[in-house]
Amino acid sequence: MPPTNTSDASAPVRTRPFREGLVSLEPPRLLGSRCGACATATFPPREFCPACRAVEGLEKTELDRRGRIHSFTVVRQAPPGVAVPYVLAWVDLPADQVRLMSTVVGAEPEAVELGLPVELELTPFATGEDGAELLGFRFRVIDGEENA
Amino acid sequence: MSLAPAHVAGAGMVRFGKYPADVTLERMAAGAARAALADAGADLGQVDGLYVGHVFGGPVAGQRVAAQVGLDGRPVSNHENYCASGATAVREAWVALAAGLHDVVLVIGVEKMTDRISGGVRPDPGDLDAAVGYVMAAGHAMSARRYMADHGATREQIAAVAVKNHAHSVHNPFAQYRKPISLEQVLGARQIAEPLGLLDCSPISDGAAAVVLCSPAGLRRLGLSGPVPRVLGVGLVSGAVQTGLGDLNAEDVSRRAGEEAWKLSGVGPDEIDLVEMHDCFTIAEVVRMEGLGLVPHGRGAAWAADGHTALGGRLPVNPSGGLLSRGHPVGATGAAQVCELTWQLRGTAGGRQVDGARTALAYCKGGTVNGTDGGSVTTVVMAR
Repeated sequence: MPPTNTSDASAPVRTRPFREGLVSLEPPRLLGSRCGACATATFPPREFCPACRAVEGLEKTELDRRGRIHSFTVVRQAPPGVAVPYVLAWVDLPADQVRLMSTVVGAEPEAVELGLPVELELTPFATGEDGAELLGFRFRVIDGEENA
Repeated sequence: MSLAPAHVAGAGMVRFGKYPADVTLERMAAGAARAALADAGADLGQVDGLYVGHVFGGPVAGQRVAAQVGLDGRPVSNHENYCASGATAVREAWVALAAGLHDVVLVIGVEKMTDRISGGVRPDPGDLDAAVGYVMAAGHAMSARRYMADHGATREQIAAVAVKNHAHSVHNPFAQYRKPISLEQVLGARQIAEPLGLLDCSPISDGAAAVVLCSPAGLRRLGLSGPVPRVLGVGLVSGAVQTGLGDLNAEDVSRRAGEEAWKLSGVGPDEIDLVEMHDCFTIAEVVRMEGLGLVPHGRGAAWAADGHTALGGRLPVNPSGGLLSRGHPVGATGAAQVCELTWQLRGTAGGRQVDGARTALAYCKGGTVNGTDGGSVTTVVMAR
């Protein structure tokens, strides 16, 4: 069920988040929740705090877009319809103390290593019934020569 | 609180493997059921109920099986906890016996996979991990890479788990693979999710396993007087939502499953003589044994390479060949582990017998849930 878009009923919907509340589009950010009691952040956002079990005082929060690779693999076999190879990683966001799973692009698989700095970008996860791009997330290796 | 043990009156399997499409789920389950009933010397009329674990069998698979076996009309329940489905069915049967609801029940784990699964298993499409591109092999590959970095373990040490388990199943007539493999074969196999290759991964399999579980009154009904192996308790826990940037291989879910097992069974970890461990991937055996506290943290891969977890070692793990070599028809695996423990505790496991086995543990882990350290984990403690 696509979320209702109230911005302009006559204009075609081009892009929207893969799931409501997962990402913000402008600026591109992951959306998490942060506990008002113990400050623990989680992604994706939850209705409870997994650390202290509070169910009130949780606030939506934009997560830092910079991360580093905690571990990764090069997937070389996947179910039919999934193009291989691709790099899948556990990405740590040190500023928010959040770890999440994501694909990583921007480097040859052989060049990926533990601790490599990466940054968030949005990417289509699927196409909606109305043709809209449903945006999810991935991380891109930061080129050491540039200040990305 | 402790529940009464369940007595294992009979155990039976059909060999795991890849069968043609006409070897259906119902046919395999019926074969395992008849073998277990024959092993127990039980007639159809003596069975009070049927507990069936499966994942891909579809609606009322257990009732379809009951109608093939001749247990139609009886209470039948279907249990889905992904790869822990068979063990979860064992747990529910144990609880029903302890509660006095039934005295003789049949538990079947069954799966028909080779005609419907290819390229590996993945989470439910509703789980965020599926959208990200997660496949099970990838999660274990990331576990392995981090394990090597954190503990100085080598690729060869992790591969030793596959060599060991394939050596064990040479002696298991119910195993999908019964040939030894070399370290070089494991290291040189086609890459699936680096650093793991094909022989680090359990196969996609068909198969079924069944046990007849009884209360003391049920044993009398079947005319069994001598001691039979007992299920002392079955722990069940689920993955917990993770926070922070801690140890990727902390295996807190395994630690909690172990504590449930010790609490429910009254057995301590020092008393375990052998383990049937859910080695869906080589590294999984390593980190889960550590999580249970049965192998020192960070030493599991070295233990495998040094032979400590082989038959004849200080704590044999997967004398059956495990999932890697016995095969892994997901819903059947937990029931197959209980069959193996039954044979080990009877002392009838032949060339793979663990000498003097008195107390044993079987561990299953089923599925993944985004953001948690697992889906379901079961721990079955048995004694002779």
